[in-house]
Amino acid sequence: MTRTAEPAQRQTALSLIGLSRHFGTFKALDSISLEIEEGEFFTIVGPSGSGKTTMLRILAGLDQPTQGSLLLRGTDITRMPANQRPTAMVFQSLALFDHRSVGENVEFALKMRGMPKPERREQAFELLDLVHLGRDYYNRAVTQCSGGERQRVALARALASDPEILFFDEPLSALDYRLRKTLEVELRELQRRTGRTFVYITHSLEEAMVMSDRIGIMREGKLVQIGTPAEIYGQPKDRFVARFMGEVNIFEVSDHRLVDFEASVSTVKDGFLIVRPEMLHPVDAEDPGLHFEATIAEVFRLGSRVQLHLETVAGLLVSEQPASCQLKPNDAVRFGFDPDQTHSVPE
Amino acid sequence: MTQQKLGLLFMAPVAAFLLIGFVSPILIVGWYSLMEPRSFDLNTVFTIANYRSAFSDGYGPPFFWSLSFAAVTTLTCLVLAWPTAKLLHRFAGRGAAVITALIAVPIFISESVRLFGMSLFLMPGGGILAGSMRALFDLSIGSVLNTKLAVYLGLVYVHFPFVLFPALLGVALIPQDRIDAARDLGASRWQVLREVELPLALPGLVIGALLTFVLCIGANAEAAILGGQTVTVLTRAVEQRFSYAQDWPMGAALTMLVIAMTAVFVFPALSRLDLNRLIRR
Repeated sequence: MTRTAEPAQRQTALSLIGLSRHFGTFKALDSISLEIEEGEFFTIVGPSGSGKTTMLRILAGLDQPTQGSLLLRGTDITRMPANQRPTAMVFQSLALFDHRSVGENVEFALKMRGMPKPERREQAFELLDLVHLGRDYYNRAVTQCSGGERQRVALARALASDPEILFFDEPLSALDYRLRKTLEVELRELQRRTGRTFVYITHSLEEAMVMSDRIGIMREGKLVQIGTPAEIYGQPKDRFVARFMGEVNIFEVSDHRLVDFEASVSTVKDGFLIVRPEMLHPVDAEDPGLHFEATIAEVFRLGSRVQLHLETVAGLLVSEQPASCQLKPNDAVRFGFDPDQTHSVPE
Repeated sequence: MTQQKLGLLFMAPVAAFLLIGFVSPILIVGWYSLMEPRSFDLNTVFTIANYRSAFSDGYGPPFFWSLSFAAVTTLTCLVLAWPTAKLLHRFAGRGAAVITALIAVPIFISESVRLFGMSLFLMPGGGILAGSMRALFDLSIGSVLNTKLAVYLGLVYVHFPFVLFPALLGVALIPQDRIDAARDLGASRWQVLREVELPLALPGLVIGALLTFVLCIGANAEAAILGGQTVTVLTRAVEQRFSYAQDWPMGAALTMLVIAMTAVFVFPALSRLDLNRLIRR
């Protein structure tokens, strides 16, 4: 008997079909459709008030959509209550049970299922090891834990229910920079190791870039763009996404003419050129491409790079150069970029 | 002046007041309770005869009824106050204030007046309830007035606000995200109540329960006005010793027992309470 080889295809873990959530006349979520794949680290990025948290609450079953449906591996779970969904969430506030010990927090989901105490304890030990806390923490009070430790307790607690999908609602936003970096790496590693689907929301582009397989950009209740970090950074769909994904210089093009400079662009008729700071270089007058006079307004040393603010005919522009760059404020230099190599957006 | 001396100075008025108005009466009552029965002197010939007769001379029923009424009333009030507090909390700012006021306003009316009102309501034949039922539906109903049930209803009616308001405070101590987290981790509504809501609201519930329990042990008006002669409660028994029987030492001994009994309930409960946590919110 022969068997047809199926193409290696990732299963869809979660399908959102036209999900909307209205509060009166306000559309917090406006017809979101999205497929999140099995084992994927999917991050939703957006400014505050863009509907990220509302979306996550609906995915977790803590809120009901006004319209649309939600499928988990093809099964409709739109109306399934939160406590029956095989998903778990790490809350922004962490929402740890302060009246319980670290161990009791971690084994909460197991206790709810009626697992006997000794087994629960054993699993809690394993989970505490997994999140690099260690079993000594079992009897500690949650209130005695530091911010990073509480973070790990919340993660272990969510993992305890052995969820098919883990949701994260900006859990790292309250931590200091170094700890955040450490935990970002650990989360990513944990996700790879366990092969679980993670849906993460944040307003930090950097966090999204470091951890995600794919990123969805949200704005005013709509998903504006979905793609890999590289796609979203290199080929943003519009100016909003471009600006959201870090420092950027935007030049308007009208009928193949750059509005700010007396220069023409062959590849674009109308729209905007997206020029990342690292694409803007000091150049010689004879170089091909577009260049213009610039005065250095300010120099910021960012460790491995230098960020320059330039005063030009097109207003204030941003350029980033290697740390070896010796330019100083008030230096007059020619800067340029190659318009034909640049990504453009229609709006 | 040092901080410590200043602190003592500020404390002095309250300390003096408590000493004169609170500690010394208890000491005098304690002293009386150790005197010969039916004597009126305070001397140094001590006896425990009064305490012995408190346990042997038929004072059991008043203790039993007061304790039972207090326990059942406290429990009933807690069961009624929890859903009420949850609802009032949920609709805070949307009409909850009106309901709260409706519950709170009667507290400003004398308890006896309210109880006489209730007695009027429950009266058989021409009472408000029975009379209305007959006039409107041509129904003849009996009355619970002058029964233990009426005493119980009166106790619940009078003491409900004393549980409700602390319970409201307790419910306000439960952050919504903890409930969400528990639900998300697989807890049923019942499990959320048991594992998260009740423990977090406990300070408020304990305060409400203590207030009600202690007030009920000392309650007399409900039994007198609504209960007729069906039941003698503790306070009534003590009062009778002091007035009708003219047996001060016996009354004093009963009083000391009530104080001791109350302390047994109050101190363990209070010691488990973090008042700071309540006030900080």
